[in-house]
Amino acid sequence: MAERTLHGTGATPRSGVGSVVWYGRDISLLDPDGVEVDPEMEGERFADAVDTARTELESEREATAERVGEQEAAVFDAHIQFLEDPTIEDAVETMIGEGLPAPNAVDAAFGEHIEQFEGMDGRMAERADDLRDVRDRLLRLLTDGERVDLGDLPEGSVVLAERLTPSDTAQLDPERVAGFATVTGGRTSHAAIFARSLALPAVVGIGETLESVEGGTEVVVDGDDGTLLVGPDDDEREAAASGSGAAIVDESVETTDGKHIEVAANIGQPAELDPAAQRGADGVGLYRTEFLFLDRETPPSEDEQYEAVREVLDTFPDGRVVVRTLDIGGDKRIPYLDLPAEENPFLGERGIRRSLDPDSDLFATQLRALLRAAADGAGDLAIMFPLVATVEELDGALDALDAAAADLEGRETEVADPEVGVMIETPSAVFMAEELAARVDFLSIGTNDLTQYVMAADRENERVGDLHDPTHPGVLRAIRQTVKSAHDEDAWVGMCGEMAGDPDLTELLVGLGLDELSMSAVTIPEVKTAVSETEHSAASERADRARLAATRSEVHDTLEL
Amino acid sequence: MTVERTVTIVPEAGLHARPASAFVQAVNDHEAEVSAGRPDGDLVQAASMIAVTSLGVGQDDDIKLVADGPDAEAVLDELERILTTPEAELDTDDG
Repeated sequence: MAERTLHGTGATPRSGVGSVVWYGRDISLLDPDGVEVDPEMEGERFADAVDTARTELESEREATAERVGEQEAAVFDAHIQFLEDPTIEDAVETMIGEGLPAPNAVDAAFGEHIEQFEGMDGRMAERADDLRDVRDRLLRLLTDGERVDLGDLPEGSVVLAERLTPSDTAQLDPERVAGFATVTGGRTSHAAIFARSLALPAVVGIGETLESVEGGTEVVVDGDDGTLLVGPDDDEREAAASGSGAAIVDESVETTDGKHIEVAANIGQPAELDPAAQRGADGVGLYRTEFLFLDRETPPSEDEQYEAVREVLDTFPDGRVVVRTLDIGGDKRIPYLDLPAEENPFLGERGIRRSLDPDSDLFATQLRALLRAAADGAGDLAIMFPLVATVEELDGALDALDAAAADLEGRETEVADPEVGVMIETPSAVFMAEELAARVDFLSIGTNDLTQYVMAADRENERVGDLHDPTHPGVLRAIRQTVKSAHDEDAWVGMCGEMAGDPDLTELLVGLGLDELSMSAVTIPEVKTAVSETEHSAASERADRARLAATRSEVHDTLEL
Repeated sequence: MTVERTVTIVPEAGLHARPASAFVQAVNDHEAEVSAGRPDGDLVQAASMIAVTSLGVGQDDDIKLVADGPDAEAVLDELERILTTPEAELDTDDG
């Protein structure tokens, strides 16, 4: 047992072990009384600090966009706006005019607004964090404060801090840092969101007791339980180290009785490719192409799409890359597509329904780009059609693919013959899986949508969150029926929903007969380890018992969850 | 000229995070003076990130926008676009 256990909110379902490095800022302000300053000089210092801060923020924004993603980088845009806020600027200039040194003026100008936001709830309180971050940046520049280089910490450090701002977390190198824990913050704080994107073990909101943990102490950060174990014993240390994502398995894995299971990554944007390869992905089981079509005024050209797909194929030269064709519907805004506002967009014109008509030209362009990339790229391309409900839709998509190949041959362009598959997301596709599988090479089960449609429970609606759970026996039976139909038709079958990435469910999924599991890169090492510890024949028996259970709780009892 | 418009906020985050920075950025990119507020409340300077986020307007809330200047219509069009675009599809190009 550890000497002490501190409780907070787990931010990432991972554990890490390491030794404590305290990270805090030590900026001392001059006592302004009795200090003679030249207001003009202080005004210039302030203007220079703002300029430098803006440059820093812009470069941190770029680095974050590249390393983590656009979503996480956007916080820096907000910081730039706070930095240039006219109310702050006016207040600072007034106080400097009254004879205050620039650092004291900055501190006072921000302080007022920080207090105002602090007393509010949720999102408003997070604005106080943003303002503090911008204030401290300016103070550091004005007082020549050294910035502790979070990007250059000793390997195996666990960073403890009162709070970590977005610019702090952006510097943390997941290769070196074993995790972090903070006094403040909740599940939706910037630090927690960054921790999840970078797959860093993290516990936030531990409270003041965290400050009693001395630098250099050995601790376990358990982001799953939301605990910080101070002075762990051997068992606790080992458990954390084994689950710390350190055990990256580069080679492909099989069960103890020799069944190979492909473990692949879901990719939503190019920035995720390298991290996925580094975490040991065998290939890509779901490459979402929507990013190519969003945030622009005109559709991407054939060449642009070709380049993007080439990049993935070259990242996984020995693997398979399953590219999903455009999956978009009325819940999105795309200026060059006339997307209808629908009462029920998730039961509306989306996925393959739009690709066949009215977006058939867009679809043809995408298919040509895919066929060209398949011929030139290093990895093996597979093409997957989303939200197929009927055999007619699949036949239409296959005709479009043949037409695209004929077009390219007419241009005397080299064309490959990639694998083709169907994403199983609708109950109809489950019931028709045999006929669908007879026409293609593989099926891939999208459990997020399939669960939503099988259980008639909105993914985003917390009030029916209990129903939106793929471990209900109804969903397990749909998965098993899909697998069996695919195998009867000599097609392989994969899964690319969140469920595939839950290492607690790996044995169940192997037992249900899945050949491929595709997930967010963060849990690939755990799932690969779980596969190699599973015995296929025993897993099949247990999966049968789970599937034939009457209730979700019986399923969980059977799986010992 | 002065124009006025009331918009219902679509992004889930309300006027925070990305929508807020895009909003303030757009105000600063135009000449017109813009103020914003709840339909029944006081108006604040829309060029100030602090003022805009402290309004605390969330998804489905109404916000009143008043613009005064040569490009008043244009800035309101742009602001309305930002406030009615779901966050996931907001343009994130710096500009």
